[in-house]
Amino acid sequence: MRICNEEKADLLLIAGDLFHRQPLLGELKEVSFLFGTLEHTQVVMIAGNHDYLKRDSYYWTFEWPQHVHMILGSQISCVEIPELSLAVYGLSYHSREITESLYDQAAPKKRQRYEILLGHGGDEKHIPIKKDKLNAQGYDYAALGHIHKPWCENGSRIAYSGALEPIDKNDTGAHGYILGEIMDNRCHLQFIPYAAREYMHLEVTADKNMTGHALKAQIKREIENRGIQNIYKIVIKGFRDPDILFDLTDMDAYGNIIELTDDTKPAYDFAKLLSQNKDDLLGRYIESLIDYDEDSIEYLALCEGVQALMETR
Amino acid sequence: MEIRELTLHNFGKFTGKTIRLENGINILYGENESGKTTLHTFIKGMLFGMERGRGRASVYDSFSIYEPWENPNYYSGSLRFESGGKTFRIDRNFDKYTKKAELICEDDGEQLSVADGDLAVVIGELNAGNYDNTISIGQLKVETGKYLASEFKNHAVDGSSLTDTVCPHGNGEINLEKALERLKEKKKILEREMKDSLLQKQARRERMEQEASYIWRDVHRLEEEYVRITEEIHHRREKELVQERENAENKLVIDELRPDKWRIHPVEIIVFIGIIVLAFILIAKPWNYLVSIILFLVCGIYVWNRMKVGKQQEKTPPEIILEEITPEEEKIPKEKLLWEQSHVKEELKEKKTQYGNLQEQLTELDEISDDYREYDKRRSALLLAMDRLNELSIQLQKRLEERLNGRTSEILAYITDYRYTKVLLEEGLHLSVLKDGRRVPMEQLSRGAAEQIYFALRMAASEVLHQEEYPVILDDTFAYYDDVRLKNTLRWLEEQKKQVLVFTCQKREVRILDELKIAYHKIDV
Repeated sequence: MRICNEEKADLLLIAGDLFHRQPLLGELKEVSFLFGTLEHTQVVMIAGNHDYLKRDSYYWTFEWPQHVHMILGSQISCVEIPELSLAVYGLSYHSREITESLYDQAAPKKRQRYEILLGHGGDEKHIPIKKDKLNAQGYDYAALGHIHKPWCENGSRIAYSGALEPIDKNDTGAHGYILGEIMDNRCHLQFIPYAAREYMHLEVTADKNMTGHALKAQIKREIENRGIQNIYKIVIKGFRDPDILFDLTDMDAYGNIIELTDDTKPAYDFAKLLSQNKDDLLGRYIESLIDYDEDSIEYLALCEGVQALMETR
Repeated sequence: MEIRELTLHNFGKFTGKTIRLENGINILYGENESGKTTLHTFIKGMLFGMERGRGRASVYDSFSIYEPWENPNYYSGSLRFESGGKTFRIDRNFDKYTKKAELICEDDGEQLSVADGDLAVVIGELNAGNYDNTISIGQLKVETGKYLASEFKNHAVDGSSLTDTVCPHGNGEINLEKALERLKEKKKILEREMKDSLLQKQARRERMEQEASYIWRDVHRLEEEYVRITEEIHHRREKELVQERENAENKLVIDELRPDKWRIHPVEIIVFIGIIVLAFILIAKPWNYLVSIILFLVCGIYVWNRMKVGKQQEKTPPEIILEEITPEEEKIPKEKLLWEQSHVKEELKEKKTQYGNLQEQLTELDEISDDYREYDKRRSALLLAMDRLNELSIQLQKRLEERLNGRTSEILAYITDYRYTKVLLEEGLHLSVLKDGRRVPMEQLSRGAAEQIYFALRMAASEVLHQEEYPVILDDTFAYYDDVRLKNTLRWLEEQKKQVLVFTCQKREVRILDELKIAYHKIDV
């Protein structure tokens, strides 16, 4: 709201899923209050697959302020804002899933000078969208929601704003909003990173000379380099001294590691071990498992088995 | 490994005796009681030490038997051997006062520690157990012990003996049992973690379900309240209708005209005043005074009466009692009830929405989490590792057994001039042979044949189990052999290019070796 006021934005588009679940009345009142703080901005919003319009949804009856327009229909309809010469087209989800590609045949009706599609979905179960088909419809701008990751390509009239803040540990990368400008026939879209923090997937590579303390120091350093405000999902890769097992409970120096996985392999040179132990159990064991992918169960079994054999000699 | 020299400073009947041994076949000849077995025991004692037993057992143990006849406090010797191109010397004192064991590498004078296991490193895989079961064959003790069977099992997984390459991982022997134990432990830990995480999830779910159940209870309560309020309103409405109807029946035309809440219509008053004034004017004097006063009084009474109807609503005692017994809520004004109804309705909707959201959350919780998938993967990896290890070790053991089988058969065939070409080794190293295509258990064979089979087995086991070549020590082993087989055996031993120590009290071996023109080193004990 503050940015809308600062930018003196004409229009705020909310492309669905404002709420993760069915909004409560109190929550709508809070949002409504916030919308009330807008000084210049009209709001158009739709409901997405998470806050879809159930039969007794509060969206049906909630009275928004004058400048807030919610599109409630399950088929594409439009909100006209004559003072902006603008028509915003869109629909709201009435069920959790919609598999028809409703946006594919929804050309603007030339009601106003500027025409925007406010959409939600894009995957198989939520209104599949083909970008080229959508482009061909002739909207000045298609503002899409649903996918958490922002997508805004230069020259495209289609953009996903993504989540304003990352909401899942797999929502990595920058998050923010789309700042767009439509002038005459030109549409200029720009992604503005705004999230207070990011989720980051970090790979820390251990080597076979690294002790637990050294690893902790390295993780700390890497987090400092990337910003301690971010939240990290860390995978420790590489090779470790077979005698060391990292204590994962003691690695979180800043309290911002949400997940820490130790994927290190004991620093055994399987090929060398194999050539040295061609005919014994160790060699046979390595031979039977060495040709698998590093992510496979077999590879894991190889590491575990070799380690057990080597450590109990 | 080859033994070079035995020096018995004071051991059994020997004092200051030195015996030099050569490569190839050494015949240690001596008559009965000349001390051949003493020498044999000496070698073992030097290699693996000799402890005095405790209590009654000590009377007949090796320590006591070979305690020097003279000067028992000086009980020692040394043994010089070659291994890996270096010469070592072991010095031992066996007596309890000066007990010591030293290992010296004579090439560089390095003093090694027997206590720290350096000797074990030098002599490799040989230990007191497999020594007795493979290379050293005592008098009439040719049968291999159960020991060999278990040794064998463990050995099967360590393939160093299967190849001729030098053992690459130092002295480390693979121990399958322990490795499997380790994997099992890991699996157990993992399963515990898995269970913990499931329990955590369960706890979370329970909390959520509890919350849902509270909300559900609220929903239920609100629904009941809603029904109650709605009924109450309905009831009131009916009551009002009835009352209205009753009132309507009692109402007069004037009541209809009169606005609500007005007890007397102003028109009435105007009419009354008009009547009084008219009567005063129209009626002749003096009657008009009277009539006017009467009319005024009549009107006054009517008005007063009307006013009294309003005041009359004071409660009569039965009415008060009735009021007391009516439930509280019936006294609540209808407007408030209506307000409450809408309020409850709203709250109900809110709670239902909340409940729906929680249910959704619960369904999402049911989806299998990544954590679980990861656990499952690691668990399957451990299971796979264990299965594979077991599988492979069985394979390897089978292979080793086959090898042992094959080699034993070969040796036996050589010794027996191909009379027995196939030895069958069964579970626990129980032996039988194939003779004319028939399986003959060991026990049915002659003593000589049995000894030859065991000899073959020991030689094969020594080859299969030990990568280093050790001297073969034969203490009057050939007593039951006939000349032909002895000849074959000696020829076989010679072909092996091993160091062989034959203790014998007969001249047969020497004669046969001479016949075969095999070089040997003869030592008279």
